Amino acid sequence: MKRALKFGSLGLMVLVLVAAGNKPQEAAAVKPAEAAPAGGASISGSVAVTGSVPAPEKIKMAADPACAQKHTAPVTAQTIAANNGKLQYVLVYVKDGLSGTFPAPAEAVTLNQNGCMYEPHVFGIQAGQKLEIVNDDSTLHNINCQPKANKKFNIAQPTQGMKSVKTFDQPEVPVSFKCNVHPWMAAYAGVFSHPFFAVTDANGAFSIQGLPAGTYTVEAWQEKLGVQSQKVTVADGESKEVSFSFAAK
Amino acid sequence: MRFRLYFKFFIFAAVLTLSREAAYAQQPAPDPEQGRQAYLDNCTRCHGPTGAGDGRDAQRMYPHPRKLSEGVFKFRTTASGTPPTDEDLYNTISEGLPGSRMPDFQRLPEDIRWQLVYYVKGLSPAFQDQKPEPLKFGTDPGPGRANLGKGKELYTKLGCNACHGNLGRGNGPSAATLVDQWGAHIDPADLTQGWNYRGGSAPRDVLVRLMTGIDGTPMPSYAEAVKPEEVWDLAYYVHSLQAQPQWKREVEAVKAPGVLPAGLEDKPWEKAPRTDLALTATFYRGGEIAPSAVRAVSVQAMYNESEILFRLSWHDRTESRENVPDAAGLAFLEDPDLRWSAGSLRAWPAKTGGPQPAVAYWSAASGNAPEGVSPLEAAARYDEGEWTLLARRPLQGKKPAGFGILVWDGGNSEEGRHRSNSSWVKLIFKD
Repeated sequence: MKRALKFGSLGLMVLVLVAAGNKPQEAAAVKPAEAAPAGGASISGSVAVTGSVPAPEKIKMAADPACAQKHTAPVTAQTIAANNGKLQYVLVYVKDGLSGTFPAPAEAVTLNQNGCMYEPHVFGIQAGQKLEIVNDDSTLHNINCQPKANKKFNIAQPTQGMKSVKTFDQPEVPVSFKCNVHPWMAAYAGVFSHPFFAVTDANGAFSIQGLPAGTYTVEAWQEKLGVQSQKVTVADGESKEVSFSFAAK
Repeated sequence: MRFRLYFKFFIFAAVLTLSREAAYAQQPAPDPEQGRQAYLDNCTRCHGPTGAGDGRDAQRMYPHPRKLSEGVFKFRTTASGTPPTDEDLYNTISEGLPGSRMPDFQRLPEDIRWQLVYYVKGLSPAFQDQKPEPLKFGTDPGPGRANLGKGKELYTKLGCNACHGNLGRGNGPSAATLVDQWGAHIDPADLTQGWNYRGGSAPRDVLVRLMTGIDGTPMPSYAEAVKPEEVWDLAYYVHSLQAQPQWKREVEAVKAPGVLPAGLEDKPWEKAPRTDLALTATFYRGGEIAPSAVRAVSVQAMYNESEILFRLSWHDRTESRENVPDAAGLAFLEDPDLRWSAGSLRAWPAKTGGPQPAVAYWSAASGNAPEGVSPLEAAARYDEGEWTLLARRPLQGKKPAGFGILVWDGGNSEEGRHRSNSSWVKLIFKD
């Protein structure tokens, strides 16, 4: 009896293993056939900030010479980066209104740690797309990533040049990256099921290209100031200007 | 039928996880009612009825009892961010977590411990969302083959010193700013205090922590940075940093003919017997424990006809000389019976009056003893996460029969009753 049971479970194990082996890996990356047709519309514009924005805090890196030596100018926090009333590092993306699926690009997004700062500070990535996390510093970094919908990790990169590859399966805004060794380090990602996202530049400008015609909910996310949202309708080939405004306290 | 299915599943699970102990292959089938009852009987007081970490005594404990419903487990053999294996949970229940209030449950039959494992897994969705990903740990070379010199190199190369400090005292440059997943300050382990390693102090335990990380804390997984066979030397090196504490309930003061050694490192101290005292924190703010940072103090003593000299040393992650300074107090029992009337040292100063021990006080900020205590004449040094203090007390008439030690860590904002206390210890004057 016991023996039979054992063989039974062995069979079960083999079955499960075979099933696991057949499971397509990173399904999003290998199904171009289902891709929705790219459109010719675009949404671009800028993000403003009103109210008094505090001067960004200076970051003290003296405790780790490996960080400090890479900077000639003082480094300031990127939490609210305003320039003449325009806001940098705002993630702008299509929240709703798309149909079809959009395969993840084969090329990876890179998140670099350089001079104990993340580069880029804010970025978008597609679900299933590879994220290469690189340590360009000759010091220990840990990458502590605790998303809600995606797999969590906290990994060490003790040596310069080390690279780790991660993927996020589920759309989620934001996914944050922290280094506990250097507590000022923070990066934020938006994970999307489509490629229609952008991050504002130093002039607060963004541009989302290649949209199909339609009516979309467009959101702008800022790490301290929250989320703004508006409905935007674009016809095929149309370029629409959209602006967002956040109020600083 | 149901039973058979379960049975198959557990054989299957045991084979898959390549369990290291034969006993694990004999996991009983889940009996939810038995598990629930065992949980209510043994776990709710701290972890709460639903595993929310909100049991009756939870707020009075530090580290706080785990929120089992959140599914974040520190001590695993699995990849960062993945749940523990059944064996991991079984081991935590069976062995407890040293340095925390989690006891071992050896007194429970093994069957019941397994039922607790199943029940705990049911408290959190983490076990449905994720499968454990067990890691490999290579082969233990054994103490004879471990290369401590190489281990020491790795300690720096892998950045252990950033948090744990150059000598492992938990005083690295990043120590002061560490926060856990819930935003609360968290101290890196003092690696010299082996008795305080939650996940066990053996070289293998160290290696497993290094490879898996400690989820919920800043301690990352090194699994993507190194191969396990490369870091056994480091595990043995960290193990070699553990001090051998001399836990005793008395301090032997050695008689020194003539002049007492005035220097912190004078030769006679090398031979003076040492007592290690564990310190406890019992300060509550709004019903919640305010943890104290200093865990232990080493004591030596020497005396002559006119005075007694104490040499104290303790680990403190930060040197604080201003604002809230680091400080220490020696409380003397001139009369042995005072021990009973004054009560525990943690009650000092007593709110109700009555006889009080005489407390002599030293602070790292120059010369300001609080009201009601005499300054302790002392020489002090802070070096690499450790205070060493030479404290002098005149011996007039009756010799003190016992004493206790109070330590304040200024870097942890400790003042007044917020401090670490020893128990009363007997002071023996040896001729």
